[in-house]
Amino acid sequence: MQFRLEKRREPSKAMIYITPVVAVVLTMVVGALIFSLIGYDGIGAVREIFLTPLTNSYKWQDLGIKAAPLIIIGTGLSIAYRANVWNIGAEGQYVIGGLAGTGIALLTYGMTGWWILPLMVLAGILGGMAYAAIPALLRTRLKVNEILTSLMLTYASVQLIYYLIRAPWKDPMGMGFPQTRLFSEAARLPTIIPGTIVHLGVPIAIVVGIIAWFIMTRSVFGYRMRVVGAAPHAARYGGFSENKTIWLAMLVSGALAGLAGVLEVAGPFQRMVPGFPTNYGFTAIIVAFLGRLNPLGVIVAGVVLAITFVGGEVAQTTIGLPNAATGIFQAMMLFFLLAGDILIKYRLRRVAPQPSVGAA
Amino acid sequence: MTLSRRTFVKVGGAALALPLLGSRAFAQLEKVKIGFIYVGSINDNGYNYAHNQGRLYVEEQLGDKVETVFVENVPEGPDCERVLRELAQQGCNLIFATSFGFGDSVVKVAAQFPDIAFEHATGYMNGPNIGLYNARFYEGRAVCGTIAGHMSKTAKAGYIGSFPIPEVVMGINSFVLAARKVNPEFTIKPVYISTWNDPAKEADAARAMIDQGIDIIAQHTDGPAALQVAAERGIVGGFGQGADMSAFAPDTQLTAIIDHWGPHYLASAEAVLAGTWTPGNTWEGLKENVVQMGPYGEKVPEDVRAAADAVKNGQIDGSFHIFTGPIKDNTGTERVAAGVTMTDAELLSMDWYVEGVEQPA
Amino acid sequence: MELVLAILITVVGASTPILIAALGELVVERSGVLNLGVEGMMLIGAIAGFVVQFHTGNPYLALLCGAAAGMAASLIFGFLTLSLSANQTATGLALTIFGTGFSALAGSSYSARPVTLMQPLFPAEFYSSPIIRVIFGYSFPVYFSFVMVVAIWYFLHKTRAGLILRAVGENDQSAHSIGYSVIGVRYLAVMFGGAMAGIAGACFPLLLTPQWAERMTAGRGWIAVALVVFASWKPFRLLGGAYLFGLVMTMELYAKAGGGPLSAVPSELWAALPYIATVVVLVLISIRRDASTNAPACLGKPFLPAN
Repeated sequence: MQFRLEKRREPSKAMIYITPVVAVVLTMVVGALIFSLIGYDGIGAVREIFLTPLTNSYKWQDLGIKAAPLIIIGTGLSIAYRANVWNIGAEGQYVIGGLAGTGIALLTYGMTGWWILPLMVLAGILGGMAYAAIPALLRTRLKVNEILTSLMLTYASVQLIYYLIRAPWKDPMGMGFPQTRLFSEAARLPTIIPGTIVHLGVPIAIVVGIIAWFIMTRSVFGYRMRVVGAAPHAARYGGFSENKTIWLAMLVSGALAGLAGVLEVAGPFQRMVPGFPTNYGFTAIIVAFLGRLNPLGVIVAGVVLAITFVGGEVAQTTIGLPNAATGIFQAMMLFFLLAGDILIKYRLRRVAPQPSVGAA
Repeated sequence: MTLSRRTFVKVGGAALALPLLGSRAFAQLEKVKIGFIYVGSINDNGYNYAHNQGRLYVEEQLGDKVETVFVENVPEGPDCERVLRELAQQGCNLIFATSFGFGDSVVKVAAQFPDIAFEHATGYMNGPNIGLYNARFYEGRAVCGTIAGHMSKTAKAGYIGSFPIPEVVMGINSFVLAARKVNPEFTIKPVYISTWNDPAKEADAARAMIDQGIDIIAQHTDGPAALQVAAERGIVGGFGQGADMSAFAPDTQLTAIIDHWGPHYLASAEAVLAGTWTPGNTWEGLKENVVQMGPYGEKVPEDVRAAADAVKNGQIDGSFHIFTGPIKDNTGTERVAAGVTMTDAELLSMDWYVEGVEQPA
Repeated sequence: MELVLAILITVVGASTPILIAALGELVVERSGVLNLGVEGMMLIGAIAGFVVQFHTGNPYLALLCGAAAGMAASLIFGFLTLSLSANQTATGLALTIFGTGFSALAGSSYSARPVTLMQPLFPAEFYSSPIIRVIFGYSFPVYFSFVMVVAIWYFLHKTRAGLILRAVGENDQSAHSIGYSVIGVRYLAVMFGGAMAGIAGACFPLLLTPQWAERMTAGRGWIAVALVVFASWKPFRLLGGAYLFGLVMTMELYAKAGGGPLSAVPSELWAALPYIATVVVLVLISIRRDASTNAPACLGKPFLPAN
């Protein structure tokens, strides 16, 4: 008996939804097994990482806050990836968005007014867009691979933070530590439920996801993105300019990454610090894939990733699981998911034993 | 045992308050649960390792009266805030946030959990239930500087720093002030590498300084990389930072500044157990055994050991303070008059270098 | 003069690991595959090399085990992207997350334990004078990296196998239609890249700083990725680029330690320079529109036979 892969005529709808669930379940099973084998409480690890964060209502706030930037960035990336535009520099666009917002907050320091926060948000969005425009320009004008340029720009952006907070933007009252001053009240993101820590960024994330889903499935823009990604040749015949699509994809994903950046700096951080870049932009790539490049899926995937982060900390304190285990669980989940992708376009067929042609 | 009550107790006096509040306010705890958060890995061989040793010390001393939990590699910012809340909800009575960058988060979370005692290392924002603690590492630097002044042949030392924060500036100044008391020609060259933990970069910075004429090296970063380079190059020596690093360079480590947080952690834990904890602002050093000196390296001669011991003992009995004037800055302006000792507040915001420090970029 | 030689020696140390890792990635990318997991594979190689050196004290065995560990990690990537045609960007990122976590876990019981550095390849009599030391004073991986530059150039441009590998990277469909195993070639390339990244990682405890520290490669895997692009996928340019990057990383420290006009350049600019330079080079080679300097045409795209 032998198996071989056979191409499906249509991508399997069922597999699109089943494989992420299977990937998460497999991660739990295999993870529990591996960590038990190397001498940790494997079942406990899975319980603490994946389940405990869900059972405590206080933890839901944490999940929302952790998931919000992942969802916002992941939504933008899912749109770009649908169009086959590989923006992997969302981390850099997130940083520039945060810096642009910080710039406004520092300029308006001590002022009051309802307009400050919207202005910051606008600056963040534009900042993210502008930083994404560089790879877009290079790709459309000079055919430079956007994967490489957007990645390189990310590393440059992090150094820009370090420079700004060490020199021109340093908090004059901060004892010389490299960070900006705390934003004044008008530049801070309000919490939406009194007595909790849930800030405005959380509902914004969900709204962004839903609007993006609506646009992608119901509008010409969404249709265009999907056609260009799935069948570039057909798209050209249909009159969709490839360059225009690249621009749109980069700007939308950059704008959302910038939005996430400004919400993060105005919400949980309330000042710019060296620890501002925490790999949300890279984690959001995982979120986009785990969510099947579907904005609604991204919302779910953002929460799942947030669970593993929050749960990873729980597991450190309750069963002494080292911090490194969280990364291993996340990587495993992505490995299983990516492995499962093949089942969307192919089906597994049992064939009689014969000299077979290599699979795929 | 709420904090407002505890404050009231402090203001109104225990004798009056006790009967009013009943047993809860001052109930001695049977067992204290302590949470620690570290900014890096407990296996960094340096700063975070030392804090974790302090945690283990408390466990050892208090036995089954204490339970400790810790979270490592916690990013500064919202992640820290979440971890602090997690620890608070798990029933910790006392939480130590061991990095400067955790300050904002401590302030926010402490306000939400007034019943829990928080202590923040190296920070400056206190609160009704936020204590601050720090160690006078500069005292150890003065001992190292004394040894360097005696032993350096080129009268030039290198100093690898992470960021030019007061903590680091203070250490450099203390080191060079002590060295110049021995050898007035002594100078020091600080190099900032903008990271706490990139061993290869620390090592290259050490090489760069050794190649340009220094023969003693000190560092204010988290690992032993610079010391290992000193050993590799066979210069006069270097110093362990945070922990005894003699395992990494047995012949080269002249001595080490050991962060011994254990006694402070133990004192706070006992205060919480006894119901007497108040938000303090402790800045302890050699005298309180929070800063310790490692064993002298074999190549440190007897007379140098004696001189170093004298500086150490002077700081322990209070007869010697390295930041006593006259002190000039590195532009030649007198900053501290003769006989005047800088205040703690001045030290904690120090942003200028003393004479003998080459101005870093 | 002495100082120049001393700087050179430090530059060699800083450049060697990124050169070795980038050489591996160059071959991978020439076959049409983009593996962004270099940083993760380097960390796995670093811990493997450290553990072996710690227990056996045999640095050659340590390098070999670093290579094997890197190769094993690359097989995860290969299986997912080649056999299952998964997205290469996402798989590479996952591999880096995995490598960071795995190495930290495996290394957790090795803190505060030093190892011995790898000894220079030639006996000490060889390099008594400083000038000769600049040439003969290094340990094995440095010479290995030079040999590999030539070997890879020769392989890619002078051998039939190299031609096939480039064909697979430039036009996988035609390579497939004339009967070459696209997947097979790419597997070999990915494994080679993994082995080189593993060796590069093992260089950290063996050459640079004889200890294990979590995340001790500190982003140099990404510099290696940048370097391949910077060198426009050519081995000799890669050699030049690696030493240029190494010089930039090292000069910052020498300038700061020595004073002088360069020491006024903000350290953040030094740190960003390799990445900015890479973008600029990408632009320049695109403006010249020299077909031979462009990226492999199939870079990052999964191969699905169109039969």
